[in-house]
Amino acid sequence: MNCPVCREPMIVLELDEVEIDHCISCGGIWLDAGELELLLGDSVEKNKLLSSFEIDKTTKEKARKCPICLKKMQKVLCGIDKKVLIDRCRRNDGLWFDLGELEEIIKMGNFDKDKKVLNLLKSMFKK
Amino acid sequence: MGLCLIFLGYVIGFSIYPNGGGIAGLLIAVVIWFVMSLVSYFAGDSILLSMSGAKEITHDIHPQLFNIVEEMKIAANLPFMPRVYIIDDPAPNAFATGTKPGKTSIAVTAGLLSRLNRDELQGVVAHEMSHISNRDVLFVTFAGVLLGSVVLISEVFLRSMFYSSGSSRRYRSGGKGGGQAQLIIIAVAIVFAILAPILARILYFALSRRREYLADASGVRLTRYPEGLASALESISTTDLNLASANKVTAPMYIVNPLKSEGMPLSDLTSTHPPISERIKILRGMSQGVNYLSYQKAFSLVKGQVSTIIPASGRKESEIIPIRKASVEPKKEQSQKKGAREIGDLIRAINKYIFLTCICGLKIKVPPDFNKPKLNCPRCGHELEVPLAELAAITTAVGSVIPKETEQKEKQSNLEPLTYKRQGKGWESFLCSCGKLQQISPMFSGSQVVCNNCERKIEIIN
Amino acid sequence: MGILLVVILLIVVFAVLFVIGVFNSLVGLRNQVKNAWSQIDVQLKRRHDLIPNLVETAKGYMVHERTTLENITKARSTAMGAQSVGDKAKAEGALSGAMSKFFLVVENYPDLKANQNFLAVQEELASTENKIAFSRQNYNDQVLFFNNKIQMFPSNTIAGMFSFKSEEFFGVEGQEEREAPKVKF
Repeated sequence: MNCPVCREPMIVLELDEVEIDHCISCGGIWLDAGELELLLGDSVEKNKLLSSFEIDKTTKEKARKCPICLKKMQKVLCGIDKKVLIDRCRRNDGLWFDLGELEEIIKMGNFDKDKKVLNLLKSMFKK
Repeated sequence: MGLCLIFLGYVIGFSIYPNGGGIAGLLIAVVIWFVMSLVSYFAGDSILLSMSGAKEITHDIHPQLFNIVEEMKIAANLPFMPRVYIIDDPAPNAFATGTKPGKTSIAVTAGLLSRLNRDELQGVVAHEMSHISNRDVLFVTFAGVLLGSVVLISEVFLRSMFYSSGSSRRYRSGGKGGGQAQLIIIAVAIVFAILAPILARILYFALSRRREYLADASGVRLTRYPEGLASALESISTTDLNLASANKVTAPMYIVNPLKSEGMPLSDLTSTHPPISERIKILRGMSQGVNYLSYQKAFSLVKGQVSTIIPASGRKESEIIPIRKASVEPKKEQSQKKGAREIGDLIRAINKYIFLTCICGLKIKVPPDFNKPKLNCPRCGHELEVPLAELAAITTAVGSVIPKETEQKEKQSNLEPLTYKRQGKGWESFLCSCGKLQQISPMFSGSQVVCNNCERKIEIIN
Repeated sequence: MGILLVVILLIVVFAVLFVIGVFNSLVGLRNQVKNAWSQIDVQLKRRHDLIPNLVETAKGYMVHERTTLENITKARSTAMGAQSVGDKAKAEGALSGAMSKFFLVVENYPDLKANQNFLAVQEELASTENKIAFSRQNYNDQVLFFNNKIQMFPSNTIAGMFSFKSEEFFGVEGQEEREAPKVKF
């Protein structure tokens, strides 16, 4: 799978059974469909976050192509108190987060009480 | 169905050109059928396999699946071992293909492997093996092609009728009476062109449903364990995923209908597969051993009708074959996450990913088209070498032909023992001295591997 | 006169053709039996090859189960020495029994069950057990066909003429076999 931004092949990182696709040139993260749900675990806040997704048509950010189906992805605003603009495949193949976006989303939600996910992400990119 | 096609060809031909046109239309229809049959007979299995994105596997990649296929090959007394394929698809399903006895294949999806335990997988493979030994693949190929031809011819005819307003016919209709007769014929042809595909479909699907029941019955006779297939069908039916690579004509090849969401009102007549709940009920109702007679009894009980599924030769079987005990392996209840990982890694190994484990514990999986020789671990910054030499070797080999002599010299000079130390329990990759990528699976238990390029032995330290 | 001669000639020709046909089908069936037997043999050999691996892996973990392991090794060497079909069936049955006892005991050793090497050998052995069972199933089917043909009229006369002998079934009578629960995974 190639990074939708720099078109370089992405590598797969696995730690404690969490698996993400990562581009080493731009630091972006690709999550396959269902991976975000797995990452967040089961909680009320998770559902709140997942239902906060709304399509943003006003943005000027350049559309990117889904690394799986190679079709243009939608710009989606998500987040509970603050909106973060991410890319979502129209066929629901997965989600693309630019550098830091995933961390931001997980940080602001209250759902990660014991900071498990955040710590995991941080430890994945400690440097 | 053959009659359906021949009649369709005749009527259409006759309606276009009454003097001898019927025979010509008939001939054209038969030729179309013949050519399509030839193509699918000789290339159908490879077309289907490549369409579904199936990858052939060996014993090392998934020992259990491979062993089960081998077991069922022995049980079915087949002279040839089918090739085994895995399809990278989360929807659980499986199919068998191959029209020639010596060249058959069984393909299962990754989703199936992650959901089923050994007994259940055995039930599914036995069902597929029965399709092979009953020569159902041949039936599906020919009947499917026949259906395809009928649909194609009717479609072409109806469209041409629709677009050409019949001006050309004006010059041909001589007398008044003749013209009327031809009009009637055209009307009949149109009606028939509409009806034929539907008729052919109903016939095709009825036949293929019967074959599904029969494959269930003979599959269970192979494993002697109806519960295996029943519980496999049960766990397959709980998913609502559609198989990405299936369509109406290839659907009968699969163990369960891969196109679930197409809920049509006519589904009972136009479904390629019997309802799963019914199949499970029949399997669980087999109280008198696993022979065909027992299946037939259970079938009549569940369906409440006396139509026979099993041919007479099978029903004569009087010997009662007892059901065997369940195996020790529990049902798969491991976390969904873990199952997904295992299968993901399996698919990556087939696709020649490189597996690295950093000293900090982070597992890094590098795709084969990655082109940097070194990589900094995103977690701890440690620099890792990517064994890319194989890719380099391939690209240089294309440019320059290495003389054989030097190659042999290299082989001899490199004979000092080569070792590799295992780092964990997952998939791992390293390079042989010749540059060939070696993959070790989590199930690997030996003390050495032999490079399949230069045949050198590499010692594995656990 | 001429017609009678032709009729007699025809009868003789048909009789010869019939004998040839039955003879060939008998030979074919006998070859099927032999082939099925060699299939069992391959699997039995494979089991014999795998057992030392299993014992080697388990030895470190199962210090208190010396006798179970020794029984397997003993049963294996007896089975490897057996010659006739009957002896073989009995010895292999005993080996299956020893193996099933072993796999019951394994349940008490979680460390062993987590060992990747052990899991791999276990899968191979479980599959080999299945393959033995399935090829035996197949062998007995073939023997049944063959014996039926030999004993039934009219092929029995031809079988007698060329002294075809009925073949032995594999291990349905073996007492140990019937009692021992079959190991499957």
